[in-house]
Amino acid sequence: MKKFTSTLIALLLASLTLAGSLYAEDASEIMKKSHLAYYYSADDGVAEVSMSIVDKKGKERIREFTMLRMDETDGGAQKYYTYFRKPSDVSRLTFMVHKNPDASDARWIYVPAVDLVKPISADDKNSSFVGSDFSYEDVSGRHWSEDTHTLVKDSTLDGAAVFVIESIPLEEYSGFARKVTFVDKASYLPLREEYYDNKDKLRRIFLAEKLEEVDGFLTVTQRSMQDVKKDRKTTIVFSSIAYNQGLGDDLFSERYLKNPPREFIK
Amino acid sequence: MRKIIPAIILVLAAVVSFAPAQAEINLDGFMQGLYGGRLDENNPTATEYTVSESRMQLRAEHFGERGEFFGRLDFVYDGSLEPTYDWELREGYFKFRMGNNIDVKVGRQILTWGTGDLIFINDLFAKDYASFFVGRDDQYLKAPQNAIRFEYYSSIGSWTLVWSPRYEPNRLPTGEKLSFYNPMAGMFIGAGMGGEVPLPESKFENSEIALRFNRQLGGFNSAAYFYKGFYKNPAGMRQADFGAGPDTIPYYPELTVIGASARGMLMGGILWLEGGYYNSQDDPDNDNPLVPNSSIKGLFGFERQIADNLTANLQWQVDMMTDYEIYKAQQTMFGGYVRDEVYHLLTSRVTKMLNSELIKLSGFLFYSPTDEDLYGRFSVTYKYTDEVTLTAGANIFDGENPATDFGQFQLNDNLYAKMTYGF
Repeated sequence: MKKFTSTLIALLLASLTLAGSLYAEDASEIMKKSHLAYYYSADDGVAEVSMSIVDKKGKERIREFTMLRMDETDGGAQKYYTYFRKPSDVSRLTFMVHKNPDASDARWIYVPAVDLVKPISADDKNSSFVGSDFSYEDVSGRHWSEDTHTLVKDSTLDGAAVFVIESIPLEEYSGFARKVTFVDKASYLPLREEYYDNKDKLRRIFLAEKLEEVDGFLTVTQRSMQDVKKDRKTTIVFSSIAYNQGLGDDLFSERYLKNPPREFIK
Repeated sequence: MRKIIPAIILVLAAVVSFAPAQAEINLDGFMQGLYGGRLDENNPTATEYTVSESRMQLRAEHFGERGEFFGRLDFVYDGSLEPTYDWELREGYFKFRMGNNIDVKVGRQILTWGTGDLIFINDLFAKDYASFFVGRDDQYLKAPQNAIRFEYYSSIGSWTLVWSPRYEPNRLPTGEKLSFYNPMAGMFIGAGMGGEVPLPESKFENSEIALRFNRQLGGFNSAAYFYKGFYKNPAGMRQADFGAGPDTIPYYPELTVIGASARGMLMGGILWLEGGYYNSQDDPDNDNPLVPNSSIKGLFGFERQIADNLTANLQWQVDMMTDYEIYKAQQTMFGGYVRDEVYHLLTSRVTKMLNSELIKLSGFLFYSPTDEDLYGRFSVTYKYTDEVTLTAGANIFDGENPATDFGQFQLNDNLYAKMTYGF
């Protein structure tokens, strides 16, 4: 009898562990799908971007730029090209990122007023993107394998069925200590994210504010990031989106950094 | 006043030509006030203002079927001495593509290459140090050049050829607003004491040629360079032509440079290396005391982010004179300043961004342990709104000997304030 009990307990434990790991795998799989749906739509994309940063006094600052993206592999290396239009002091400035999930990103800036190409040391992916509440990583994506993910519950958000997933960085990370993502079950797009610091205080809230179908890809055309501590909010609106434009690899080179491709950027 | 008339005509012409609705022309620019004063009482310049100007920059851009046009035109009211109005076409070029692999840029343009941060070895395009020292925006460090630039992209790398039909020198302090030390005269040159330096004669063989080959080698962007032209500063003295005046006058000696550079990511930062051989064509045996000896220059630099919103870099430059013994004997004989055989220059830039990148604190220090001189640039910039930027800054020079690169400007310490409205 004693033997039977211990066997039973062992079996129960084993099945619990198995169930737990299956559950964890599910959460990781969901985050992978979400990452691909949000950051890797189509093979490439072009969009006009308008960014509004509103501080706690209600003062608004605007950034306008054109963004080009090309994926080398889904979930893998990507290249980004940004052409700034506003404000006036950065107009015509171009910025390029070669994102590599396995290594540091390579970033370059071109300042046309002095004809200067300059690589930028990109050690900290958590630094702010052009002074907004979005970080570089928020713009280009944090690889799902850098966190452990747990499916907390199934829920609904504004009528949409969502997975609620908690992510904890595998290595200590300045961006967050814990993140809760509300992933749309239908599209796998992240509808809401909550970033908590190491004192488990809510620091930032991401919202997918508007979803539209573009060229057959459901796209978050308006998104916001609210910094709870600083009481600031950045809203990004995408327009004139076009996917699968056949952006070539050579477009993300120094040649085009200095000479913006006018078929996409005017 | 004579100068403002063509300016008005240009603006009118611009407005008229922009009028057709179908022509897509992007127009923007800025208005700026910049006021600076010297800190040294005994500076022999003509005015206490190192700078006092109102500036408007207009930028126009047009994209056509075959290429694109870009123009940048500055209008300046300068009140530091007798009020003057002036204008300058900072850029005005046409850019187009020949076939798939050649980009061409023709016209007045700003040119930059090389790896150094405010140190230029293989970049022999014109600089404007008179602007650099008084607090004008970074874009004014580069003086425009009339040139044709060809860039050819081949499978092994890219080739760039820049041909400037007329030699374009650096713009240096003249004594009017910024003084400098003249070792021949043994004194600081102030108002009315500096003479015009004649440019090399305008002829085909005196045009400037700059070449670069650029390719990726492993993780490093590497390049080889060639330059044929003249020293960008009036570094030599020659016999004056017949007539009254001094026996020798300053001039721009002939120069060729070959060099190479590499830049890439290392240890979470950016590392750069550059070297060049300055071949002083007018002094092949290095025995003319009035013309610089040939020299070998090397540069090492590293930059990285060291904390949140805090970036710092360090550079170390060396300059080894060839045939130093000849130089030393000559300088000793004339009683001039004797430089070390190997000149060392250390620089550091520290940039701190605050308040979501709205406030920028910047410091840049040049220090030479061999010449015992220094130059510090410090500024605070506040982006009050998207349109309005406020800047305050200082330029500080010091040197044990006034005959050194920075020591010669030691009476020009200045403070400035600047306000820019972008549109």
